[in-house]
Amino acid sequence: MIRLLLALVLALAAAAPALAERLISTLSNDTIEITSSFDGERMTFYGNIAPEAGAEQRYVEGPFHVVVVVLGPTQDRVARQKSHHFGIWLNTDEVVFRRFPSYFHVLSSGRLRDITDFGTLTGNFILPEAHAMVPNEAGLMKTLTFGRELIRLMTQEGLFGVQETGVNFLSETFYSAQLILPSNAPPGPYIAQTYVFKNGAIIARKSEGFAVRKIGFERFLAQSSTQYPLLYGLACVALALFTGWLGGVIFRR
Amino acid sequence: MQIYLPIAELSVNLFFLVGIGGAVGFLSGLFGVGGGFLLTPLLIFSGVPTSVAVASVTGQVVAASTSGALSHYRRGGVDLHLAMYLVLSGVLGAFGGVAAFSLLRNAGQLDLVIALGFLVLLGFVGILMLQESVRALLKQRRGIVVRERLPNQHNWIHGLPMRVRFKKSRLYISVLPVLAIGLFIGFVGSLLGIGGGFIMVPALVYLLRVPGNVVIGTSLAQVVAMMGATTILHAVQSQSVDILLAFCLMVGGVAGAQFGAAAGKHLRGEQLRGLLALLVLAVAIRFGLSLVLTPADIFSMAVVGGAR
Repeated sequence: MIRLLLALVLALAAAAPALAERLISTLSNDTIEITSSFDGERMTFYGNIAPEAGAEQRYVEGPFHVVVVVLGPTQDRVARQKSHHFGIWLNTDEVVFRRFPSYFHVLSSGRLRDITDFGTLTGNFILPEAHAMVPNEAGLMKTLTFGRELIRLMTQEGLFGVQETGVNFLSETFYSAQLILPSNAPPGPYIAQTYVFKNGAIIARKSEGFAVRKIGFERFLAQSSTQYPLLYGLACVALALFTGWLGGVIFRR
Repeated sequence: MQIYLPIAELSVNLFFLVGIGGAVGFLSGLFGVGGGFLLTPLLIFSGVPTSVAVASVTGQVVAASTSGALSHYRRGGVDLHLAMYLVLSGVLGAFGGVAAFSLLRNAGQLDLVIALGFLVLLGFVGILMLQESVRALLKQRRGIVVRERLPNQHNWIHGLPMRVRFKKSRLYISVLPVLAIGLFIGFVGSLLGIGGGFIMVPALVYLLRVPGNVVIGTSLAQVVAMMGATTILHAVQSQSVDILLAFCLMVGGVAGAQFGAAAGKHLRGEQLRGLLALLVLAVAIRFGLSLVLTPADIFSMAVVGGAR
């Protein structure tokens, strides 16, 4: 018990001067609304690194690095591999990744390798690869291969990405980061994790949520297609019959 | 102008959608086919997810066939009795097709089966049509008067049991081949997102010997009813009917079909059929190549589970 208390006191004494910074951050919009003309949306993350509230010091000393990780809603995703059989190419092998992020972008103020070490990056899920290395029933080697390919495919779709010049420092302590959310960004809850690094160690972190959601007519359509599929189907057919009939009337066929 | 498709969850250029709807509508008006066999592949090749493309095109096919079916009905060119048998068996086939669609999508083999289906079906029909039209054109050049084979000539198919009299078609034939045709087209149509008019018309003419004045009307009426049922089935089962996508295609398709029908009057029947055969074969070859050639990317991904 005494040893534990001692350790705690020691830890506090060691940590207190190092944890003298805090992060004040916010983002430009907390909901992104998908309307009929939705074609992607620009988001801005900005913040300031300030002394800890109640701390003696009036300024903080850098240099700091900021990494913003934007994480979309998770889905079960499958990666499939084609191979050549009987003269044609067909899907023969697959690995399912459970709870895989549907969107993942990393913005940083410098090369991630220079900011911190590999262990910190993967331990905090800052690298896309970290999500694909989650243990899987398919076995380690296959998971690694398929995970790498899945990340490549997601990157091609613009759903995954690492922008090592994504965060700009406007002063010693004030940063801003811009992200253009593509039009195929899946709707759902998003999380933006901001990490402040100093000398390779995380000295402050903060997470903010925002939502991407369909509104208005798009929301109505998407909801009715899943909640009232029969009515939705009937409406589709009615619309089709009406359009076809109207076309015949207009053009007097 | 970009438009966001709520079910496909991506934004596509509105003019592109109406444009391909119109272009395919033009061709369908020109050749008198539904156009599903062109539209589904076009959507797939332009990045719309296969399941959404197939399910939404079924809705478009309904619209494209409605005006034709109505005008044929007014002229008395629809054998409702025959169409009823085709529709009933067709809806049954569509149940099977939509179920197979869901199974294949979960197993990751949907794209393969759709490509194979298009290749086999379009390749087969295309070659037959090309042969027939080239032969007709050659004969015509040599000055031989082409005489269509007469309907009402019976073959062994008509002799099967369970005969029914179809008054309008002046036929007294077994219902078994009628049901088989309906079942097959229902299955294939719902699986591939095509109306099946280009299989239905030859089947009615050559297998059942349905007279020419009711073939097109009956086939169109069957397509409307069966594809309408398929749209509902897709909406319930796979929930991948994008009403906005379907509507954009409908608007283009219905308008384009009128111009196509007008343009079709300047071409002769054999020429039209020859051109259609080439078009059908081109689509078949495109699918064939996608199966045989080494793909640009041997890896692909999909979302599994209840989410689209």
